[in-house]
Amino acid sequence: MTGEAETNPDKVCNLGYLAEMMGHKAHLIKGILDTFLTQVPEELRCINEAVEKSEYDVIRRYAHTMKSSVSILGIAALAPILKEMESLSVKEEKMDEIRGLCQKLNVLCEQAIAEIEIEKQNY
Amino acid sequence: MSKKKETNIFIIEDNKLFTLALKADIEATFTKTPIRIHSFETGEASMDLFKEVKPEIVILDYHLNSKHPDAADGIKILDWIKNEDEETNVIMLTSDDNIDVAVKSLHHGAADYVVKSETKFKKINYSLRNLIKMREARSEAKLYKRLAIGMFLCIAVLACGIIVVQIFMPALIR
Repeated sequence: MTGEAETNPDKVCNLGYLAEMMGHKAHLIKGILDTFLTQVPEELRCINEAVEKSEYDVIRRYAHTMKSSVSILGIAALAPILKEMESLSVKEEKMDEIRGLCQKLNVLCEQAIAEIEIEKQNY
Repeated sequence: MSKKKETNIFIIEDNKLFTLALKADIEATFTKTPIRIHSFETGEASMDLFKEVKPEIVILDYHLNSKHPDAADGIKILDWIKNEDEETNVIMLTSDDNIDVAVKSLHHGAADYVVKSETKFKKINYSLRNLIKMREARSEAKLYKRLAIGMFLCIAVLACGIIVVQIFMPALIR
């Protein structure tokens, strides 16, 4: 397994946990990576749309589910961003701050998606 | 040696990626235990098969409304499960900042709860192992109880037989 965030600070994904969890079985890892590449862009699209429309409840629900998605791929940098987005949307306040966090979310997610596209070729 | 009965496990979780990873992890961990995993995005979607299969264990997420806003939450589904089959063991999954839900789920009859932290999959597997062992022990205890009752009845019938023979045909045992 390559592309670990722990060993390479330029990378956002740490796939070591996933590989260990899947017993380094290539077909299982590939299945997870494929699902990530389908699911996360869709979740990102929904959360962006909700931020645009200032829909706190939708932001809260998608921020919550994305926490699970990114944890599987070891994207530790996204956890505090999503947690903060969820927390602010529960309180229904500081939409400007949520927008700022959402921009960071987009940048990191796009980087993660690009890394996983490359990583997938190893399986 | 008797063949182990298959354990049916339901995963009710609205994040497909999480479900897929959890399913693969459980299958990789319990290679010697016959298990069948069924997954659903909402509790409502699991109800028909639940009634048919009566799964031994349900892994249930509390938040089930990310993609289906009207989906019932984990506590409501837990109540429905317990009402449908008291014997089903439920492991409730909660987010790291929601310990109240964990406590509430135990009050509503969950066998265990797992906080979705970094070690969540290890904790789920640990909980699953304990529940499977408990069910096996309970099933063995039931079997031994039946055997003991069977032996007692055999001895009772034999004793009755001897008494009847002694009363009505005493010549037979002289």
